[in-house]
Amino acid sequence: MSPTPSWVKKLKPSGPQGSELLAAERKKSSIDVGQLSEFLFTEEKLQRRNEILDILKSEKVFDKSQNYFAGRMDRFETALARAKKLQNVRVENKWNEDDMYIATELISEPGPYGLHEGMFLVTLRDQGTPEQHKLFLDKAVKYEIIGCYAQTELGHGSNVRGLETTATWNAEDKTFVIHSPHLTASKWWIGSLGKTANYAVVMAQLIIKGKGYGPHPFVVQVRDLKTHEPLENVHVGDIGPKFGYNTMDNGFLLFNKVKIPHVNMLAKFSHVDPNTGKYSRPISPSLIYGTLTWIRSNIVLSAGQVLARGVTIAVRYCAVRRQFADRDAPDSETSETPVLNYTMVQIRLLTLLASTFALHFTGNGMMKLYRANQKMMNEKGAGREKDSKRGAGPEETHAGSDLLADLHATSCGLKSLASSTAAEGLEVCRRACGGHGYSSFSGVGSYYADYLPTTTWEGDNYMLTQQVARYLLKSARSVLKGDKPTNDTTTILTNFKNRAEMGAAFDILGSDEDLVAAFAWRAAFLTFEALKHRDEQKKAWNDLLVDFYRLSKAHSQFIVVKNFHDALTDSTTTQSLNSDTVALMHKLFRLNALHTLETESSEFYASGAATVRQIQLARTTAIMKLLEEIRPHAVRLVDAWAFSDWQMDSSLGREDGNVYEDMFYRASELNPLNKITIDPYPGSEVLFKGQRSKL
Amino acid sequence: MPDFTDDLKPSYDGTAILQAERDRSSISVHELSKHLLSRDGFLERQNRIVPILENEPLFNKRQQLNLSRPERYHLGLARAKALRRLVKKHGWDHEDHKMAEYLTDEMSPYHLHMSMFSTTVKEQGSEEQKKYWWPKIESYKMVGAYAQTEMGHGSNVQGLECQAKYDVKSKEFVIHSPYLTASKWWNGTLGRTATHAIVVAQLLLPDAGNNGAFLSQGPHPFIVQIRDMKTHMPLDGIVVGDIGPKYGYTSMDNGYMLFNNYRVPHDALLSRYAKVDPTTGTFRKEGHPAVVYGSLTNVRATIVMHARLVLARAVTISVRYTSIRRQFKDRDAPNDTAPEMAVLDYPTVQVRILPLLATTFALHYTGEAMYNLYNDTRASIDKGDFSSIAELHSLSSGLKSLCTTYAANGIETCRRAMGGHGFGGGSGLIGINNDYLSKPTVEGDNWMITQQVAAYLIKKMTSAVKDTSNAAEDPTDELFKLYLSDRDRKSSADIICDGEIANGAILEAFRWRAADLSYQAYHARVVQKKKWNSLLIQLHKLSNAYSEMILVQNFAKALQLSRLSPATAITMTHLFQLFSLHTIDADARSFTTTNAVTSSSLDALPNLILMLMAEKIRPHAVKLVDCWALPDYILDSALGRYDGKVYEDLYDRAHRRNPLNRTTFNVDWESDEIVLGSGDGGRHLLAKL
Ligand SMILES: Cc1cc2nc3c(=O)[nH]c(=O)nc-3n(C[C@H](O)[C@H](O)[C@H](O)COP(=O)(O)OP(=O)(O)OC[C@H]3O[C@@H](n4cnc5c(N)ncnc54)[C@H](O)[C@@H]3O)c2cc1C
Ligand SMILES: Cc1cc2nc3c(=O)[nH]c(=O)nc-3n(C[C@H](O)[C@H](O)[C@H](O)COP(=O)(O)OP(=O)(O)OC[C@H]3O[C@@H](n4cnc5c(N)ncnc54)[C@H](O)[C@@H]3O)c2cc1C
Repeated sequence: MSPTPSWVKKLKPSGPQGSELLAAERKKSSIDVGQLSEFLFTEEKLQRRNEILDILKSEKVFDKSQNYFAGRMDRFETALARAKKLQNVRVENKWNEDDMYIATELISEPGPYGLHEGMFLVTLRDQGTPEQHKLFLDKAVKYEIIGCYAQTELGHGSNVRGLETTATWNAEDKTFVIHSPHLTASKWWIGSLGKTANYAVVMAQLIIKGKGYGPHPFVVQVRDLKTHEPLENVHVGDIGPKFGYNTMDNGFLLFNKVKIPHVNMLAKFSHVDPNTGKYSRPISPSLIYGTLTWIRSNIVLSAGQVLARGVTIAVRYCAVRRQFADRDAPDSETSETPVLNYTMVQIRLLTLLASTFALHFTGNGMMKLYRANQKMMNEKGAGREKDSKRGAGPEETHAGSDLLADLHATSCGLKSLASSTAAEGLEVCRRACGGHGYSSFSGVGSYYADYLPTTTWEGDNYMLTQQVARYLLKSARSVLKGDKPTNDTTTILTNFKNRAEMGAAFDILGSDEDLVAAFAWRAAFLTFEALKHRDEQKKAWNDLLVDFYRLSKAHSQFIVVKNFHDALTDSTTTQSLNSDTVALMHKLFRLNALHTLETESSEFYASGAATVRQIQLARTTAIMKLLEEIRPHAVRLVDAWAFSDWQMDSSLGREDGNVYEDMFYRASELNPLNKITIDPYPGSEVLFKGQRSKL
Repeated sequence: MPDFTDDLKPSYDGTAILQAERDRSSISVHELSKHLLSRDGFLERQNRIVPILENEPLFNKRQQLNLSRPERYHLGLARAKALRRLVKKHGWDHEDHKMAEYLTDEMSPYHLHMSMFSTTVKEQGSEEQKKYWWPKIESYKMVGAYAQTEMGHGSNVQGLECQAKYDVKSKEFVIHSPYLTASKWWNGTLGRTATHAIVVAQLLLPDAGNNGAFLSQGPHPFIVQIRDMKTHMPLDGIVVGDIGPKYGYTSMDNGYMLFNNYRVPHDALLSRYAKVDPTTGTFRKEGHPAVVYGSLTNVRATIVMHARLVLARAVTISVRYTSIRRQFKDRDAPNDTAPEMAVLDYPTVQVRILPLLATTFALHYTGEAMYNLYNDTRASIDKGDFSSIAELHSLSSGLKSLCTTYAANGIETCRRAMGGHGFGGGSGLIGINNDYLSKPTVEGDNWMITQQVAAYLIKKMTSAVKDTSNAAEDPTDELFKLYLSDRDRKSSADIICDGEIANGAILEAFRWRAADLSYQAYHARVVQKKKWNSLLIQLHKLSNAYSEMILVQNFAKALQLSRLSPATAITMTHLFQLFSLHTIDADARSFTTTNAVTSSSLDALPNLILMLMAEKIRPHAVKLVDCWALPDYILDSALGRYDGKVYEDLYDRAHRRNPLNRTTFNVDWESDEIVLGSGDGGRHLLAKL
């Protein structure tokens, strides 16, 4: 295409410019953005992030301008180049793990070394013996071997006990034989395995003398360290294109009776005696239980940020985007209304804005609890081993300890709620941007697609809720027995039990404490209802799954509301933030809680936690008023999330509001399709002029 | 290359599982398919065209997901051309061509030529203009786009900035883009393909009383040549190009376009209804463009019918896959040897998929009703009398909004219900998810257009309140009058009596709720004079409630009239119940606050819904999706294959068809080389960035 002519270069968007509009928005609010950012992330982290950002920007390979255009092959190739460069930069700058995390967030695409860092090293470290550390971990840390974590199979993901890959102990030569007896035994979905890894931690059914001992982790080499070709009788490759995550080589893997030495079974928790073939399990696996909780708490914490990215883009764009004049505006008023002023847009975006903070504080709360628990555990020694025959336990091959039970259950429910909220919220943000939301340059679509698997991995969001229900039922039984409350859950159940006869009368519109109490009430009510179904009416577990799902959601929503409230009443908060900001945060808290309450109103009503009148008032009056009060601060509030333009890679979400200029620039200058001229007529076989057809 | 995996089989047989599912239901797939898909010979046409496409290598879908944006457009153009050739070869009519495009399942770069461009010429062009353009359009001597939306304005068409200023001296219109935001944007077929476009621009005419000044007559359509017919380069004074990659629509070249005082002749203005006197530049409206409303209603009926097929696709895939997929043993199973359960037997899976299965039928009957009404009244519409369809037209924007939202969200719900494999390319739901998510935005943003319905209902309620005595003039009026005469009633409907579902009471409940919400909106706006903006959320809910009522009513009516065999008919009734009860349960509060349903009925709902799903629908689920007769060619899904060979197909796609597996990479971070043995230190990559 010919270069952009000067008459086009001179054109500007009509009306007030995006930058002026955002400046005006920022002027409307006095919220101290810097202070709020520091409160969310700490000054040190923000500073560090800027330093890392500068380094990344200076490397050409991290340039994002062609990301949205490339095909799968190119995307993967580029991702590999980036992964390598990142490793070089890391060594050069002596980055620690936190720094790497920040860098990965900024680059913002899954990379081919991802599972090596995220799972392979961690598993070797946590589940290997000192001898195995020397043998595998030391090399892995130096990238002399590159690994992945191969658990899921074609036929089984949620049900880990159902895995089909076998590891059969061979006493004669003291080896294990790794084998895939069926097609469904093929490892599948394994990140970094498809093209990158030369090693894998393989979860396989341990079989000794014909007896099965359940899935265990084995270190298996899968590719030659020089030629990078698969080893004999190992069949490995990439599983193909996906909804998102296309920069990652998720892989498949099959074994045809591959022998590995005894030392390759990771033996910190379970051990096969090489001489007698006797199986033992010397240490409780509760630490792994802890790891799972930690991973899920992290998902909760990051869900706030993930959502905030979509909300930032949508709020900024909807403040710049103007469409129609207000119906009730006087005729003299000719300018159009920013779409963010329409309550129809606010009810979608401002409620999500409130959720970002709710999730953030909840994630923080979880992390704090987790650390406290870890400390307690270390002091008391590891927990007991129990309950080894669990059923629906996603990705749990080991039983847990009671010590962590509450935290664990809570983290399951919250993982489900938080990742669903973030995933669905991103799509709401994209749609709220109208037509331009559908463009890749909105920056929301691909990010959403990459985030979606979070609703499935680390426990499918529906399935996980069964664990929460199981725990709540157990807690309710202990409360009925008269046991003293020991944590949040048993406390709210006990309160409910004591007051059930009197009923509740919460002032949900007037008092924040009562609002939290109403959430507790509803969760407790549903718990005892479920218990009645299971224990008194003896209903089948399977028939109760939908009830359990609702119960878990109710419990998690209570935890979120409570954490948000706790965070606001905490003295560090009130000391770090201006009173204006704290007051605004309270409004966000109430918007989040009341909007949730309104959405779930049947349950609040049925449990007696709120009356029909209250629910109606919440909807027609309280929520509308909150939207109006929060609206002027919307842009500053998203500013506080402190996303850099480089990270978001979005025309619509630009900090400076130059939405249209940027969209036009990307379309006309960066777009490779505009470099070709075509032959449009069906009678002609020529497609792209001057190019031989590749088809 | 043969390897040891060639002989491996899945640990259970998907084909046998689906066969068993089919054997246990007595539904006649043939009968129901015919019942659903006979309009305009749909089924026959589909059966005829699928094999033709399957035999053309160009229409093979295997590599689509791996391709880059420019490659996808390239392929799209090749297919568009090939389809034209097939049209010639097989003597296909327009419907055949559309069927082929539907089966190809991607947006053709010729799409706007076939649809909006030709329709606009047909509907807005004068007889003379039609005579001139039509042969060129039909023969594809030119390719047209429809350029209405601009970078700055989509929903608000009155706000378009592109100008067409009439120059009396030269008898030309001067088309001009005064701002960057005036750039045309999003217009399909425009980016690289079109030679011509309908350009919608503000018609600026000399202001007779005010020398030198111009007055706008609002946006009007102009037919404009934009590229050279030989070189295909943009004409002087026009900048046009493709807007870049999108969430979906990869094969389509949605475009942008700017004009620099570009002159077009007087007859570029499509002038069936709007005429500009060539010498004086005065404006005259002629006739009433009511026909446009008729065809708009027809377009919306098509959207609803399309939504049902899209949703049926997602449901077909997820029902088949979750019937086959096994995961965990039943927790209450007596012993360890119990087999694993099909995940469709878990209520938390059913509750996501089966109501959507029922929804496909609900959409079907309303789409049918819309078509029928349009066809029955077509003669009078063509004469400009559009009263018989006025109501449907006003309400159809609400149906567009609700039905496309159902389908868009439904695809994603089905996809997620399939766990990890739902995320993979083999799910068959990726392309459709990406493409279909445009629908909630195009043809009227789904949130925004619900205001039209609400405004209409408020108007109707206002007049019903004013005058309750006259005979009802249309169904809405009738409902409102009925409601007003009984507004103070104390009792609400018992839709469940002793565990039995009362179908008639269900209808009453939906009608009452819709009327009551209309009344509340009327009261807030007309009586209390509340600000429109403060009511938007309420109005959106009103529109949805009204549209839900229409869906439920049409469903019930169709079942009364249908002549399905008893076994099938009873299942259809269960689907009707599932759809309506699930809809009530999902918004139970609004049924209480409007006093439409008793709370004892509401309390009984959740269990009843579970029972309906598990006992009445689940056994027929596979056959019910079979009835939608979606060929494997359009599903393009390993998970949703008719024969159930899920795992074999997933493996085949990964192992044998995946281009990434033909390359070996150098993964050592200290080496610059990316493709092993290429010796290229990543330079060719950097060159691309
Ligand atoms: C992008 C991506 C990357 C991944 N990376 C890795 C990796 O590196 N390593 C690895 O080992 N794995 C990986 N996985 C796999 C992932 O962990 C699994 O997909 C996940 O655990 C879900 O299991 P599944 O796919 O078997 O779902 P399924 O269990 O088959 O779920 C299907 C449906 O059944 C329902 N269901 C299942 N069981 C029950 C039950 N008991 N009760 C009620 N409902 C039930 C679920 O809710 C769901 O709706 C990855 C997956 C993805 C998508
Ligand atoms: C894939 C695709 C193909 C397209 N093809 C064509 C084509 O061929 N030709 C063509 O001319 N156009 C085309 N379009 C453009 C399309 O018609 C517009 O994008 C659509 O009309 C929406 O308008 P918008 O983008 O201006 O949204 P906006 O109006 O900017 O919407 C932004 C947000 O504001 C809200 N909003 C707007 N107004 C109001 C209001 N009054 N009250 C409350 N809320 C409001 C909306 O709900 C939305 O959340 C296409 C678009 C897409 C995505």
